[in-house]
Amino acid sequence: MIEAIDLHKSFQSKTGLVKAVQGVSFTARDGEITGLLGPNGAGKTTTLRMLYTLMSPDAGSVRIDGFDAVRDAETVRRHLGVLPDARGVYKRLTARENIAYFGRLHGMSEADIARRTNELSAAMGMEDVLDRRAEGFSQGQRTKTAIARALVHDPKNVILDEPTNGLDVMTTRGLREFLHQLRGEGRCVIFSSHIMQEVAALCDRIVVIAQGRVMAAGTPDELRAHTGEANLEDAFVKAIGSEEGLHA
Amino acid sequence: MNPLFVVMVKELTDLLRDRRTLMVSLLMGPLLMPALILGIGYLANNRITSQLEKPLEVPVIGASNAPNLIAWLQGQNIVVKPAPKDPDAAIRNQSQDVILRIDAKFAEQWHASLPASVEILHDSSREDAQIPVQRLETLLENYGQGVGALRLVARGISPTTAAPLRVSHRDLATPESRVGQALAFLPYLLILTGFLGGAYLVIDATAGERERQSLEPLLATPAARATIMSGKIAAACAFGVTSLLLTLIAFKLSFVFAPSLGIKLDVSLWAIARILLVMLPIVLIGTCLLTFIAAGAKSVKEAQSYMSLLMLLPMLPTIILMVNPVKNQLWMMATPFLAQNQMILKLVRSENISSSEWGVYLLAGFGLGALLWWLAARRYHDESLAISA
Repeated sequence: MIEAIDLHKSFQSKTGLVKAVQGVSFTARDGEITGLLGPNGAGKTTTLRMLYTLMSPDAGSVRIDGFDAVRDAETVRRHLGVLPDARGVYKRLTARENIAYFGRLHGMSEADIARRTNELSAAMGMEDVLDRRAEGFSQGQRTKTAIARALVHDPKNVILDEPTNGLDVMTTRGLREFLHQLRGEGRCVIFSSHIMQEVAALCDRIVVIAQGRVMAAGTPDELRAHTGEANLEDAFVKAIGSEEGLHA
Repeated sequence: MNPLFVVMVKELTDLLRDRRTLMVSLLMGPLLMPALILGIGYLANNRITSQLEKPLEVPVIGASNAPNLIAWLQGQNIVVKPAPKDPDAAIRNQSQDVILRIDAKFAEQWHASLPASVEILHDSSREDAQIPVQRLETLLENYGQGVGALRLVARGISPTTAAPLRVSHRDLATPESRVGQALAFLPYLLILTGFLGGAYLVIDATAGERERQSLEPLLATPAARATIMSGKIAAACAFGVTSLLLTLIAFKLSFVFAPSLGIKLDVSLWAIARILLVMLPIVLIGTCLLTFIAAGAKSVKEAQSYMSLLMLLPMLPTIILMVNPVKNQLWMMATPFLAQNQMILKLVRSENISSSEWGVYLLAGFGLGALLWWLAARRYHDESLAISA
């Protein structure tokens, strides 16, 4: 379970203070897919970065399975599988070696790493590229490698930052099935996207973020009821207060 | 397996698969440079012996003014040539190394027992004209002294009266210390190899990894940032020591195959092992400093732009010592680059290094390395490290 409690984060830039996140709270439960939906620059990535301890919040706190993300950062990272916005894979290593590297950093045994690598590659259909060097991988192959690498230690909580970015339709479909499978295994999945249809198709709960704040949250039905719009797209537009980002 | 070791193995695997970079950094530098330098040393050596022993050609202006002197010079391995039209220009455009001018009043002054004027025309800023000038000067001095002595004898005075001092030299330079002179470049080459040998790997593993967007996922693993950084530093140190070892082996082989160089250098395995020990602090200092720079730089390009500056650093002590030579003192052993310079020279000259010198040297070197490691680790903990790309 992942809880974000009143998160705030600002950055100093040349033009002044940028308030990226100003009061984001939500809870992502086990066995559910929680979608963070918002236009580009809404603060989704910064929020996620605070969840996986890359940044510490200026105010507020994060609890992963009850552990505080600032005080128990290492334990928190053990409980998380993360696909960050940056998903570079090592070009001179094979997909299998990329996955094994992260497995070893998680302190896994070689036997466990081999078993998990096979499970994940079967689930994502990447057996054909497993022993190829990542140099020349397609965007989809790179994303699959990065996801397998993030999940090698069998984490209870999974955070994916815009996982479908740059993927073709077939790969996206495969990824959706994979996420449903993760939910079926009782994991807590957080998934960010700026594409409304995608979030609507996948998520049990939606947290709409814009300008660093939570504009609305709940199941798709709750969102529709809350905004008084029968159409989820209209509900989204009403929630963020503009059509910005809708067609991005 | 310890995460530090995991990171180190991965970085080295990554590097080993980058064949071209590996070849350039391992072979071009450490193997080509000694060969080149020994080759140049051989050429210089050759030139010096030929300049010392070959008949010296000297254009003489006014040779007819002093036929006896000319005849004596010709007996001393000097070939007298007619002077060029414009002697000053001939020296300036380097077509002549040295020209002798005998004054028109030479005979007159000679017969009056006054100092007779001769003039040596040369360019003191030309390195390769020094030996010919010296040869000619010594010959003229000898001639003058010989004639002076004869004149005293002719007046019934013992020639020793005019020589109140007898100055003689006892050259205490050992063959090994001459080597130090001949191989002044050796410390610089070794220090540079040790200091920046792992530079490619360090910059690539920090700034490059960030640019390729793989640093953020790496930092999301449970491994502590300082551990990840230390693994990368360890890999770079291992690589730096390897390239140093290759350089030293190349030197050893050059001396095996070119023993006729006339210089003796302590290239025993024991000396090589001690040189490696001397270089360890500088390898650590270089890698930690580069990690510090790479972790703060916004891109690989920015990190690399520091390289030309860093290449100058090891040269500083050599330059300072050249301009302002100072005696070996203990504080030098605590000054980076200067200390390595002195230690390596002592080792190849087979000089004794006291245990206090070793102690100060290793303590100061590793101490500075540890300080830089700590500074780099602080930068690694900076939030902006992973995200600025």
